[in-house]
Amino acid sequence: MSAWQDLVTASLIGTERTEVPPAAVPGVLTSDPASATQDPAAVLLDRAALLTAARRAGRRPGQADPLPLAEPDPRPAMSQAAGRRLARMLGGQYPELLAEWLTAAIARGLRPPPELLPALLDRTRRAGPADSSLLRLAAEAGGPRARWLAGLNPDWELVTAQHLPAEDAWRLGRAAQRRGYLASLRVRDPAAASELIAGSWESAGPDDRSMFVRVMADGPRLADEPLLEAALDDETAWIRKMAADVLAALPGSALARRMTARAVRCLRIERGPRGTRLVVFPPAKSDALMRRDGIATGPVGGSSQPADQARLMLEVVARTPLLTWTDDFGLGPAQIVTLWSGDWAPVLFTAWSRAAIAQRDQDWMSALLHRALTARPPGLAAEIEALRQLARRADPRLGGPAVLPDPGPDAPPVIREATRLLRFRYEMLKELDDHDGGD
Amino acid sequence: MAERWNRARVLSLAPDTSSQQAAQSLATGRSWPLTGAAERGALWGECLGSATTPYRTAVDLSGPAYQCSCPSRKFPCKHALALLLLWSDDSIAAGGDPPEWAEKWFATRSARAGDAEDPKTPADPAAALHRAEQREARVAAGLDELDRWLCDQVRQGLATSQRSGYRLWDDIASRMVDAQAPGLAERLRALAAVPHSGPGWEGRLLEEYALLRLLVTAYSDPGKLPSALRDTVRSRIGFTVRQAEVLASAAPVRDHWHVLARRELDQDRIRTRRTWLRGRRTGRFALVLSFAAIGQSLDGSLTVGTVVDADLAFYPAAVPLRALVAARHDTLPAGAPPGLTTAGLLAGYARALGLDPWLESWPALLEGTPARTPLPCLFDAAGAAVPLHPGLGDCWPLLALSGGRPLTVAGEWTPRGLWPLTAWDHDGMAVGPVPL
Repeated sequence: MSAWQDLVTASLIGTERTEVPPAAVPGVLTSDPASATQDPAAVLLDRAALLTAARRAGRRPGQADPLPLAEPDPRPAMSQAAGRRLARMLGGQYPELLAEWLTAAIARGLRPPPELLPALLDRTRRAGPADSSLLRLAAEAGGPRARWLAGLNPDWELVTAQHLPAEDAWRLGRAAQRRGYLASLRVRDPAAASELIAGSWESAGPDDRSMFVRVMADGPRLADEPLLEAALDDETAWIRKMAADVLAALPGSALARRMTARAVRCLRIERGPRGTRLVVFPPAKSDALMRRDGIATGPVGGSSQPADQARLMLEVVARTPLLTWTDDFGLGPAQIVTLWSGDWAPVLFTAWSRAAIAQRDQDWMSALLHRALTARPPGLAAEIEALRQLARRADPRLGGPAVLPDPGPDAPPVIREATRLLRFRYEMLKELDDHDGGD
Repeated sequence: MAERWNRARVLSLAPDTSSQQAAQSLATGRSWPLTGAAERGALWGECLGSATTPYRTAVDLSGPAYQCSCPSRKFPCKHALALLLLWSDDSIAAGGDPPEWAEKWFATRSARAGDAEDPKTPADPAAALHRAEQREARVAAGLDELDRWLCDQVRQGLATSQRSGYRLWDDIASRMVDAQAPGLAERLRALAAVPHSGPGWEGRLLEEYALLRLLVTAYSDPGKLPSALRDTVRSRIGFTVRQAEVLASAAPVRDHWHVLARRELDQDRIRTRRTWLRGRRTGRFALVLSFAAIGQSLDGSLTVGTVVDADLAFYPAAVPLRALVAARHDTLPAGAPPGLTTAGLLAGYARALGLDPWLESWPALLEGTPARTPLPCLFDAAGAAVPLHPGLGDCWPLLALSGGRPLTVAGEWTPRGLWPLTAWDHDGMAVGPVPL
């Protein structure tokens, strides 16, 4: 044992019970340092002091096993401001916007700061296979450096495995890998993806069928309509529901036409002496065909008839192509949302918001946001949630300076929150556009 | 009025480039219906922004310190920077009284500054001498007590101290506070963490006790020490040297100082910022400390990754590291500073230990590649590795930054390993302080 270790052992036991070992180190310290004291404890401390300094000063370098080199990443670096925002988002600020940020960074071909990749990989790994699109985005934005890191840390393999869709992933992979393969095939070759789904549908279990519908929900295509229409009669309730949601977001689908036929009976425009207004004739009750089209039946009992009717109205309008209203009324979204509709205003706001989000209609989203932020603040829980969703999805240019007024200090929290969110998204994309490589 | 700063110096205060750009576009007379400057280094102005009322911005050049009514979380905000740019361009008329809102803020600033300075200049030299003698006697008695305590620990055996809890060190630390030896008190308080610092804690505790007794021994016989070492011993015990004395005692060293790294530590509701510098010409390392109550902003004038042309006044010590910025001339653009080899780092530390055996954090500036095995470490071109501090964990961000290639890394070298603080990526950009 080394002279130092002997001293440590003696100090642990205590000099009451043991001798003070020598501090001589052959070739370095040839004799024990002189002590001016006879107290064994003091002698031990003096020797320890000498050895401490000698050990610290005499430290020798060690060996290391070099890591493999990461492939170079040819993409230009993003601006420092953009990198700092990613750090803030990974630290917990608006984490739900991460997918949008990653998509924008990928679209601009920018390289994120590599030192943030571990946190990004951890964050997406925690989101897990449930959010395979986030995994794909993180892998693509992270580029070769993220793949290199995943090669060093098994925790992150899942993230980058998503990036390598192979036929094998489809035949042999886990659910998340199969979904990743199908989704990326659908981006590359949508017809081939539809064919693959159609060919696998009959033999697929409910988990696979719901995965198919979910993949088709990401950028719905009219070409997928036959599959989705058939899924409306699926034996599993929530596959039926999901298929109906996807078809409702497809303005050209048969379901959308059926919904339009219902909707135009429920909501009409009246141009009278007291001005133009909307008049609502809510559906009396739901029937089997409405249920097939995804309109949920109201809660059994307990709920009043007006509440049920409002619910049905909301469900129908939320699934109706928004073109129905602009065509039917001959007005633009910005005008329609300001029309007087009395007590029905919250229902219509919520329904149109859901429709605008599902149909990805930016004009409607802008009009609804503007209305909510400047004229009629939302009050009901459903409206507040709709506003939140609008602020997350509307054109971020709305968050630009001087587009929307600054909400005053007395504005309701939901208004301030929605404005902050829009501003954040605007800034976030602006920083990505501001890139200049090495600022 | 304070010496006018040039544009580069103003822009170097910006938290990021977008602030720099925003500030430059705001720095026009049109945006500022009201501006003013006072003799004592105070600027104020009202800036037209997107809000209905103009933003009210004030800058105290002595800090510099900033105040603005805008909601920006950036610090300083673009308004404060724009105001400084206007002043830098000589576009602000001097003189005039600040408006009430600015006057109020300047008043609270100067009241605070007054608190910080030590107004107790000795009116009576004899009384001052008497106080100094009293303190020496109190410290000497305290050190005797500490010595007995240290020997008692080793006599009874350190095995018991793991069970005794923080009170063991807290009590002796309080007695050192009473003995007017705050440096020792701080060191003792930190020991409570050692028994929980993982395998090898016994050795680390013995090292600390041994070095404390060495300090006691050194203080008790000052005649045997060279004067610089005496200064080191006294400063480690907790005797302070006034800034004015530092500025008066030695000729300042002018150099282009690379601002290498920054580390912040919180203790007793005080935040300490340690900023490490290295002179391009002299190769000297320097440490600039700044202090603030937690929640208040620290001096941000030294930005990591920049080079400042400045005169530094070093505190007297066997290994002079701590310094004051005596005068600052310019801020220059900078890339990565040249790093040392592992052998150079270890040799430098060994030499420094020969002069000051208590030295526990030594400035490290290495050209090295991070690796994970056998231990997280950094190795240089010759393959010589130094371990990273075990308190750092996996060091993934540092690895990610490197991609397996060499980086320039600045940080603190300690007996337990390297604590990286800043790394320069392959484009020469400083990254940090992130938890590397």
